[in-house]
Amino acid sequence: MTVDADKRFPAAGRITWRDIGASETGVAVVVLAIFALLPMVVSGYPIYILPQYMLFGMMAMSLGLMWGFVGILSFGQAGFFALGAYTMGLAMHTNWGINPAYVGLLLSLVVGGTLAAVVGYFLFSAGVRATYFVLVTLALSIMVEQVAVSQSEITGGWNGMFIDRMSLTFGPLGDVPLFDDAPAYYAVLPVVALSYVLLRWLVSARFGKILAGIRENEDRMTALGYNISVHKTRAFALSGAIACFAGALYGTHANFVAPSLGGVLFSTEVVVWVAIGGRHSLLGALLGGILVASLSNYLSTVTPEYWQLVLGLIFIAVIVFFKGGVAGAVAQLPRLWRTGRQP
Amino acid sequence: MTELLRTEGLAKRFAGLVANEDIDFRLEAGTIRCVIGPNGAGKTTFISMISGHLSPTEGRIFYKGRDVTPLSVVKRARVGIARKFQTPTVFDNLTAYQNVELAVLGTSCPSHKRRQRIFEVLDLIRLSELWDMPVQFLSHGQRQWLEVGLLIGVEAELLLLDEPTAGMTAEETGSTAKLVQRLARDYRLSVIIIEHDINFIRDLRAPVTVLHLGRVLREGSFDEVAADEQVREVYLGQDAG
Amino acid sequence: METAVSVVVDATLITLILALAAFGLAIIYGLVGVINMGHGAFLTLGAYLTWAATTAGVPFVPAVLLAALGVGLVGLALEHLIIRHFYDRPFDTLLLTWAFFLVMTEIIKIVFGTDFRNVASPLAGAIDLGTVKIPIYRATIALVSLALIGGTAFVFYRTTLGIKIRALIQNREVASLLGLDIALMYKLVFGVGACAAGLAGGLISPMLSVDPYIGNVFLVRSFFVVIVGGVGQLLGGTLIGSFFIGGSETLFALFSKQVFAQTVVFLLAIIVLRFRPAGLLRAR
Repeated sequence: MTVDADKRFPAAGRITWRDIGASETGVAVVVLAIFALLPMVVSGYPIYILPQYMLFGMMAMSLGLMWGFVGILSFGQAGFFALGAYTMGLAMHTNWGINPAYVGLLLSLVVGGTLAAVVGYFLFSAGVRATYFVLVTLALSIMVEQVAVSQSEITGGWNGMFIDRMSLTFGPLGDVPLFDDAPAYYAVLPVVALSYVLLRWLVSARFGKILAGIRENEDRMTALGYNISVHKTRAFALSGAIACFAGALYGTHANFVAPSLGGVLFSTEVVVWVAIGGRHSLLGALLGGILVASLSNYLSTVTPEYWQLVLGLIFIAVIVFFKGGVAGAVAQLPRLWRTGRQP
Repeated sequence: MTELLRTEGLAKRFAGLVANEDIDFRLEAGTIRCVIGPNGAGKTTFISMISGHLSPTEGRIFYKGRDVTPLSVVKRARVGIARKFQTPTVFDNLTAYQNVELAVLGTSCPSHKRRQRIFEVLDLIRLSELWDMPVQFLSHGQRQWLEVGLLIGVEAELLLLDEPTAGMTAEETGSTAKLVQRLARDYRLSVIIIEHDINFIRDLRAPVTVLHLGRVLREGSFDEVAADEQVREVYLGQDAG
Repeated sequence: METAVSVVVDATLITLILALAAFGLAIIYGLVGVINMGHGAFLTLGAYLTWAATTAGVPFVPAVLLAALGVGLVGLALEHLIIRHFYDRPFDTLLLTWAFFLVMTEIIKIVFGTDFRNVASPLAGAIDLGTVKIPIYRATIALVSLALIGGTAFVFYRTTLGIKIRALIQNREVASLLGLDIALMYKLVFGVGACAAGLAGGLISPMLSVDPYIGNVFLVRSFFVVIVGGVGQLLGGTLIGSFFIGGSETLFALFSKQVFAQTVVFLLAIIVLRFRPAGLLRAR
């Protein structure tokens, strides 16, 4: 019996794996366009600081990939982020005949990816529970902080490390220094946008479908012949590499890295961003990172304690009432509206 | 006929408790076999050792002439041994289409033929019209079928079905027997089935292996086994109460 | 020789103090299975309440007891308002207790400020053993820790009430068949765990400068203590886990900086967790 599936079910396979995904594309285009045009209307401090929040958002996406799409929560993303910044700081002193910033960026990918792959495989291959993974990644971020403090000859210890702004070099075509805010802004934005596009593509490709299968039912995936520890390790390596890369860019943009960047508090702040933004949406994670971090920065100068308190209460409300965060709630709005209209 | 699966002296003991003992089992390619026995006879233990979910205390398992005893669940699935669990183990939050897609993604099926292949499987298990339904909303019987569909989708050659008709209506049970026969006849798949439902076993017209207290009590056609004094005793002894 | 003696003494003291700090966590995780990420906040709150009480003129011992009681009540409130609805979702309790930590820390900052606070040690001086000096207060706390853990373990393993509680928690079906109030038992255990953490925070406060993040120092180490020792192994597990974490930290600190020693110990604990996820005791 031959079946012409295309004719009978034209929609099947094109729309089935959308989760929240496909519906966010329009919003993503608008948001990225706004970010692209922003420096033409705004200048000064926001243009200086926004790239840093975008990189926070990129780190948040690296967590969203693990938490929302694989179902594994990491409390150690900031550890990778800080590691990237330190890698950048050290690489900036290299003199290997190529732009040291490029060395730093490349190294950050390798360092973050390798560390995550080693830690990930070590734990996943033993089937370590998700709750223990949280604790280990929490310990990981503490360890990054501790090493940064204790190896003060290299890292500057508590005093932190100063990192120069990078320049983009295009070989014979010339250089673009990123010392000014606008060029730096336009260097970071495409990186963040590209990482969003890359991740969106990956989660809808075979890679992402298998991860979703693992999130939904590990036993079934194993019995179908998928080596789940290998797939989980790949996802975590990617997540670690992205967080580390974002950290490297952050380091050179902020000109500075201190041990607390990798610490427990910052690591778990990322979890709060992603929970509020929406763990099942990469755009939700990205915007959660950018907006909550901006808001935190702004309100911390106005009312530091109460803002953190409110943020903690919002976090509780999200876990108890809105598991999908803002993105999940927004995605449900059309459905509510439809059902509300039915007689 | 070529031999697909053979076990030699297979035994499993849990802390002194004998679950399986000295099982020599042989299955030809493209055939169906029912494994029956009263509760606690060691049926699920037997299947779990073949699927790799349990490792035998003693004995060896040969698949296509190769010793697969040391292989993990994943590796056995890769050589073509796939298992349906007692309770439907499917991806509840995904649609029927997505469920089968995950199985097909594990094969070498090229991406442009994938959709065709998925609907082939869905047709076989009669879920094509419900392809977009999250499978948590399907009936118990449909979920059982879906799980069988996953085993077909992943191109398994030996299907281990642990109580595939549990929770099914009489009609569903009947069509399940037809499905299994069709898999063996048209697709040359080999199937080992654990079942309680006597009607279903009769419908299948397949050889039966009776386990009792972890050992093979009797092997033969349904009629032979049903007429056997010892087998009757074992079942009556249980049902008498 | 001198270092040998001082290492043994240090390791013993650190083991017992760490065991004290981890004990509340061991109770809550071991008996009701909640990964209590708010443990650090319980410790911190215990320390601050002790500081507040002593500052208000209450003598040290009643101050610590008051603090323990206060933290126990906060724990009960947390359990009653939120946690009890999530016992069947362990991952959510992990996130919710972490959220509690964030909220509690901010409340502490608002109420007590962010400056370092010092609680005067009620027992000054040291025992001079010739080669090493042992601070009297630390030695006392070590003994209190031993007594507390031994006493609680005794209650849970030897008294009828304790055995009942454990049996009920391990077999909810039987408990509900017998018409026993399982919810109350969970509440009780959660409260006792919080109380123990508050007590630990109070007792530890004179040894450190108290700041809003003081409990965090102990959070991850406490978890490793419980996991390495074996979840649910209140007496032996907590002590062995503490010895593994605290004792080896003392050893490594001989060869490297204190901070780096902690890193090495974390690494070791992760390796143990990978190969013996049920803990050193249970996986013999």
